[in-house]
Amino acid sequence: MKPLLIGAVAYTPNVVTIWEGIRDYFADTDTPMDFILFSNYGRQVDALIDGTIDIAWNTNLAWVRTVAQTEGHCVALATRDTDTVFQTMFVARAGAGMKDLESLRGRRLALGSKDSAQAAILPVHFLAEAGLADGDVDLLRINSDVGKHGDTGRSELDALRAVLDDQADAAAIGINTWEAIGRDQLMPGAFEVFWQSPTYSHCNFTALDTLTDERVQPWVDRLLAMDWENPVHRPILEMEGLTQWVLPKLEGYKSLFEAVETQGITPRW
Amino acid sequence: MVNAMLVLDLVERAKTVPTGATFTVALSGNEADLTAATATITGWCERTGNELVSATAHEATVRHGRAPDPLAGIDPDQLPGTRLWMYTNFDCNLACDYCCVRSSPQTERRALGVDRVAQLAAEAVEAGVKELILTGGEPFLLPDIDEVVAACATHLPTTLLTNGMLFQGHRLERLRAMDPERVTLQISLDSGTPEVHDSHRGKRSWQRAVNGIRIAHEEGFRVKVAATLPAEQIHELEPFHVFLDSIGIAREDQVIRALAHRGVSESGLELTVETLIPEVTITAEGVYWHPVAADHDDQLVTRQIFPLKNAIDQVRAEFIEYRMRADAAAAWFPCA
Ligand code: SF4
Repeated sequence: MKPLLIGAVAYTPNVVTIWEGIRDYFADTDTPMDFILFSNYGRQVDALIDGTIDIAWNTNLAWVRTVAQTEGHCVALATRDTDTVFQTMFVARAGAGMKDLESLRGRRLALGSKDSAQAAILPVHFLAEAGLADGDVDLLRINSDVGKHGDTGRSELDALRAVLDDQADAAAIGINTWEAIGRDQLMPGAFEVFWQSPTYSHCNFTALDTLTDERVQPWVDRLLAMDWENPVHRPILEMEGLTQWVLPKLEGYKSLFEAVETQGITPRW
Repeated sequence: MVNAMLVLDLVERAKTVPTGATFTVALSGNEADLTAATATITGWCERTGNELVSATAHEATVRHGRAPDPLAGIDPDQLPGTRLWMYTNFDCNLACDYCCVRSSPQTERRALGVDRVAQLAAEAVEAGVKELILTGGEPFLLPDIDEVVAACATHLPTTLLTNGMLFQGHRLERLRAMDPERVTLQISLDSGTPEVHDSHRGKRSWQRAVNGIRIAHEEGFRVKVAATLPAEQIHELEPFHVFLDSIGIAREDQVIRALAHRGVSESGLELTVETLIPEVTITAEGVYWHPVAADHDDQLVTRQIFPLKNAIDQVRAEFIEYRMRADAAAAWFPCA
């Protein structure tokens, strides 16, 4: 059978190791796959829509974009367990006296890349929901690695540096970055979280609805069968940041759809 | 907030290299700052599944992910501490031109002594050693070699290295006092005919060694033969093997090794601690990396012989460090 072609964005050298591992995992099955790496999500979504690839490993923003560009003729196939409970953390210097989003009124908030759902688009949405309009908070936007939807985490680290350098009073970062810096435990007195968002959904495997069930269902079943306890599967899962592949939680994308709509986010970067 | 910045640098740099590769972060400040920075890096590594490889006053090297077990690829038989070598003495009736420990009749004895050998043998069992190997110099020059061997053989299978030339009179009696069930003899013989052997080890030494092998066989000992050859001769071995077969040496007991550039030898393989899998070796002076360099300070591991377990642990730890460095170097210079 012709292998399914999966697209992914190359945001770290580990991407090669991860996808070679996943490809090997599918190699001896009746649903073999291969992968193509893209330099940015805009290009990857184009390739999905024009049929170059069968499935795209998309961020939440790339999913929202695909839904918009295909007028809903696409499906989310699977996701990491960690993608169903993603959060944005608002952090400030410990002892800065921040209590909630309202504390940001008149202060400076550092945001990550403009195409990062967790560090830019959703933070602005959460501010709006808390009644903070344009101009109420002084936004410092750090647009590094645009096109990769915040995957590299660099803009979030730069946002934290801005806080340490007193160029911002707070920063909005993804929970994955918060974990990567060891939460507030490695640098006591450096940062504390003063508000954390409701959970929302992050990445998923996206296909067009023209891809037949017959092609896709065995592949998804096989993917969900990857096992943390299996020493061959484990390193791949660890590198990709999950313990179990699961079915997507579609309601978790609602906040991002609203944010993209109200912020008039352009169709692609 | 220096250390907070440091953590941000760690997170950023880690993403730029694949799992298994290393990256560096800059360090600065006084000693207290560096201590604090190292503690921060260690804490971050533990929490995030990375590994601090080394830290200097200027930078820390960190591995993205953890290194695989550095001893994983090693044959269990080669694990440092599987065998324990002991130099019973350094004086010798011969003065071979390639002797790796510069032995000769004039060399000072520097005997390890039966008491220390007995203690080492007892501690070796505790430390998980599986075999004891006694060498010199020429062990049969010692008046109490039978006691030294017995002190070993009561604990573990023991191999005694000798040039095999002294099995007469009292010394033959000492050989007979040893237990052939527990003791193997390893006798040096470099060639199937006298010329090559004698050119390195002295006139008529070949014939006397061959006689020694015969006597040892008659006394019921298993005999291994060890030949030391220049690396370029290692391919012309078949006639030698045929000769050894003819005097009753089993093929698995025919040990051929390349000449090392050590001791009085003017040429040979360059062997350094970085390139040599260690064989823990004890002399009267201390613990050495490998018997081939038991007379060389560059391979002195520690002067502290006891407790033996600590000495073995130290050799293992250094070995792991060299292997990890070698692995890292291999990763830096991938072959085209
Ligand atoms: S090589 Fe052996 S026999 Fe020759 S001098 Fe050295 S210790 Fe003695």
